[in-house]
Amino acid sequence: MSFTPLIEANWYLAVLPEIILSCVGMILILWDAFFPKAKDVLAPLTIVTILAVILFQSPASGLFFGNTWEVSSLTRLFDFIFLVAALLATMLSRDYLRRERLEGGEFYALLLWATVGMMMMAKGLDLLIVVVGLETLSICIFALVAYHGRIAISNEASLKYFLMGAFATGFILYGTALFYGATGSTRIDGLQTAIVGGSPSPLVTIAFIMLLGGFGFKLALAPFHGWAPDVYQGAPTPVAAWLSVAPKAAAFIALIRIVSEVVPMASSVAWTTVLATLAILSMVIGNFVAIAQRDLKRMLAYSGIAHVGYMMIAVLLVRQDAIAAVAIYAIVYALMNIGAFGVVSLLDKNQNDPQTLDDIAGMGFSRPFAGLVLSLFMFSLAGLPPTAGFIAKFYVFRVAIEAGAINLAIIGILTSIVSVFYYLRVVYFVYMKEADESTPLPVLNVLSASALAIAAIGILAIGIFPSPFFRTAVQAASNILLR
Amino acid sequence: MEYLLSIILWFPLVGAVAVALMPKTALQAIKVVALTVSVVVFVLSVMILPAFDAASPDFQLTEQLTWIAVWGVSYALGVDGISLWLVLLTTFITPVVILSQWTSVKRYLKEYMVSMLALEFGMLGAFLAMDLVFFYVFFELMLLPMYLIIGIWGGANRIYAAIKFFLFTIAGSLLMLAGIIYLGVLSGRGGAPSFMFQDLYGLTIPPEAQTLLFFVFTLAFAIKVPVFPFHTWLPDAHVEAPTGGSIILAGVLLKLGTYGFIRFVLPIFPEATFQWAWLLATLGVIGIIYGALVAWVQPDMKKLVAYSSVSHLGFCVLGIFALTQASLEGSIIQMVNHGLSTGALFLLVGVIYERRHSRMLADFGGIASVVPLFTVLFIISVLASVGLPGLNGFIGEFLILAGSYGTFPVLTIIATSGVILAAIYLLWLVQKVFFGPIVHEENRTLPDIGRHEMLAVVPLVIFMVWIGIRPETFLRPMRPAVAQMLELVEARRNGEEILTIEQRNREAARHAMAELRKREAAQEVSR
Repeated sequence: MSFTPLIEANWYLAVLPEIILSCVGMILILWDAFFPKAKDVLAPLTIVTILAVILFQSPASGLFFGNTWEVSSLTRLFDFIFLVAALLATMLSRDYLRRERLEGGEFYALLLWATVGMMMMAKGLDLLIVVVGLETLSICIFALVAYHGRIAISNEASLKYFLMGAFATGFILYGTALFYGATGSTRIDGLQTAIVGGSPSPLVTIAFIMLLGGFGFKLALAPFHGWAPDVYQGAPTPVAAWLSVAPKAAAFIALIRIVSEVVPMASSVAWTTVLATLAILSMVIGNFVAIAQRDLKRMLAYSGIAHVGYMMIAVLLVRQDAIAAVAIYAIVYALMNIGAFGVVSLLDKNQNDPQTLDDIAGMGFSRPFAGLVLSLFMFSLAGLPPTAGFIAKFYVFRVAIEAGAINLAIIGILTSIVSVFYYLRVVYFVYMKEADESTPLPVLNVLSASALAIAAIGILAIGIFPSPFFRTAVQAASNILLR
Repeated sequence: MEYLLSIILWFPLVGAVAVALMPKTALQAIKVVALTVSVVVFVLSVMILPAFDAASPDFQLTEQLTWIAVWGVSYALGVDGISLWLVLLTTFITPVVILSQWTSVKRYLKEYMVSMLALEFGMLGAFLAMDLVFFYVFFELMLLPMYLIIGIWGGANRIYAAIKFFLFTIAGSLLMLAGIIYLGVLSGRGGAPSFMFQDLYGLTIPPEAQTLLFFVFTLAFAIKVPVFPFHTWLPDAHVEAPTGGSIILAGVLLKLGTYGFIRFVLPIFPEATFQWAWLLATLGVIGIIYGALVAWVQPDMKKLVAYSSVSHLGFCVLGIFALTQASLEGSIIQMVNHGLSTGALFLLVGVIYERRHSRMLADFGGIASVVPLFTVLFIISVLASVGLPGLNGFIGEFLILAGSYGTFPVLTIIATSGVILAAIYLLWLVQKVFFGPIVHEENRTLPDIGRHEMLAVVPLVIFMVWIGIRPETFLRPMRPAVAQMLELVEARRNGEEILTIEQRNREAARHAMAELRKREAAQEVSR
């Protein structure tokens, strides 16, 4: 057995972003402990840290820590998604936390640590690293979902997520153990050696199904989606915004790594069929159930299930283009969904009450900016040009048609038609429904307004000038397939 | 002007942004700015005419930039004989609409004007595009302002109508998107992918796929036209839309369906077109008769005009799928005609509705003596719509019927009865509203047509007469493009080697050169 030294030269550069984020998280908590009056510093410090990490990404590239840790253009791209999501969530949360008198250093710290967890999931080439990252992330999520301690549904949501999440973790750990049993290693790329001649051992199959179930839970992929509507509804709205996009992106990158090892090696169609079935289930269940929702957060939760279905189409195709399509979709989805949740989080309501469609009635005229960006996010979610949502969907469907998965593309398009109905209903409430007296006016502050503006500009920029994003994504995707 | 088309395209959007930034209380200023922008766009679009070579069948004033390189999508603008008048119709109708609504928009005037200008941007983009994806972007983009226009400023049942309009159209166009992507993938097989019309026209599509794609595209455009039985959204949308919305909808938006047939369905899927032309022509004729019969029994003027649209557009569909030079020219000119005369009718119905808050035929009668000017304009528009010789409708219908007879004799004979039916229901309308005794006392004090409304209608009437008397002005520039389009379809049907238009031009040039040399050589010999 050859021994690879665990600590290589420049190892600290490979984990610099993680170190910075973790340390700042601790500083935030200490600051809050020592200077409880000076809460004004917390959010700006968080924002500056995130911006700094976005600007100065890890300078090293390559494999580290005994080839279990990858820093490449692909991981940078996903880091970017996590950081932008955290940035927007911070900007939206500050006002929300003030309004609810909840602000504390631990909130931002949890957000940063969760981001670290996601970065580990993206960079880990070894299932154990992925699992540790996943747990770091999950524990932060439990706390963040329950952060609004005064309201009952927040606690209930957290408990739900915790119990279900524990099961998911169990699945993933069990899958990892079986994986080790089958391949003699927990390295993801070790999987290829275990599949000889296209017929994997039953152990590998069970391990794969277990892992898929676990990640399916994190993705809110049907039929593992049951928790999502309740948890989003109960969580503080800015947390729900972040929760609906960032952890999904992290689970996607981990899943892509596994799938891209498995599917090309095992020619048996069954695995692709399993993935395709899950994608179809997600698109159908997500879109059809969303129609019935009047609570905005629940509607966005079901629409999120549908979007995961669209992304799964690309995941299961395993081509350079397909992975690039997932990456683009993840960025776009992060922007538009955080944006949509962001507008909902501005509704100044008693948190125990649901935020329904009636609450946004007439917003287009009473709060033109919020109404306009909300409509923009809806059109983007529906996939209409010239928004980024159109580009992202076009990309996925194009990859599917090119790969001959025309059935999937057709189901995707048919369910998209269904989705137009409920996204359009939001626009209908924003512009065509008169507000009644009791409708709360959204509270718009500089920070949350700029978060919405960033998301909206991002949506339009990717929608109108997608080429630079394509180049980055395609180049990044080549990493995973070439290795 | 090198970037004329880009300027025409983007100016309305710039105007929309400018209006959006104005304070919402500056009502007069908002109207003036919106009108000025739309008039400037019209003037700019008229400047296309001197630069346009009527003898050439190709796209002119073209501009091309790469937009999404990996997919082969371009920002490509151009006009040819087929789109020329539709572009001008769009720029012409928009100021008319803004003028016609000078005093009738009471709520959210600013947002209304922004929507109108954004709509103009969308329509122009669709007519000017030379790239299928670029076209598609605008085709969808138009839905949003139209949705808002119907949904915010429409009648009592506006929400239902707006959502129905949106969902019908989007269902068609999203399926078309799948077809578009497929075409792009197909064009990428032979090298770099491209969505430019010229490249798509030369694409060889496997027969099974061609039939499927034909129906996917046809469905999208048939919903837009709308062809029977996909028309049910149209009466709802028309009746509920505010006057301006109805005018734009009938005047321009529906034309995107027929334009789509000519631009995409015929040349990209020629084999399937030949195979299925009878079906579309039949549906067109059913639309003619059905629309006319339903219009006949409408008690509501606006509904009557809406159903007459279904009938009139049936002629366009028949003409397109008859696939002859005359019928195709007739269809294109009929699209413009329908925009003018139905636009005028909607406008005038809007005028009378504003005065009486009723559109029911039963609420009127004998008002010709009260509002003489209005009556004259209304009757001219009706006669144009009926197809009286000397007015525009006659030219269009005559060309369509004469051109279609050779291809579909029986259908054409049936369609001709639609002309008679149109005369019946439209003259019936005139009779009931304007003549006879005045039965309702409140009609005695109806004010005649106002200054702004007059300014809006009169230009429409001028063009109705112009097209009616001197159709050649309008037919001449479209002739070469139509001929080339038919030639392309014919060549594809006969299974000839498929060349892109550029290749064909090069071929033609080489041929001409060879001829010239031969002649020179002959002269040399004779000398």
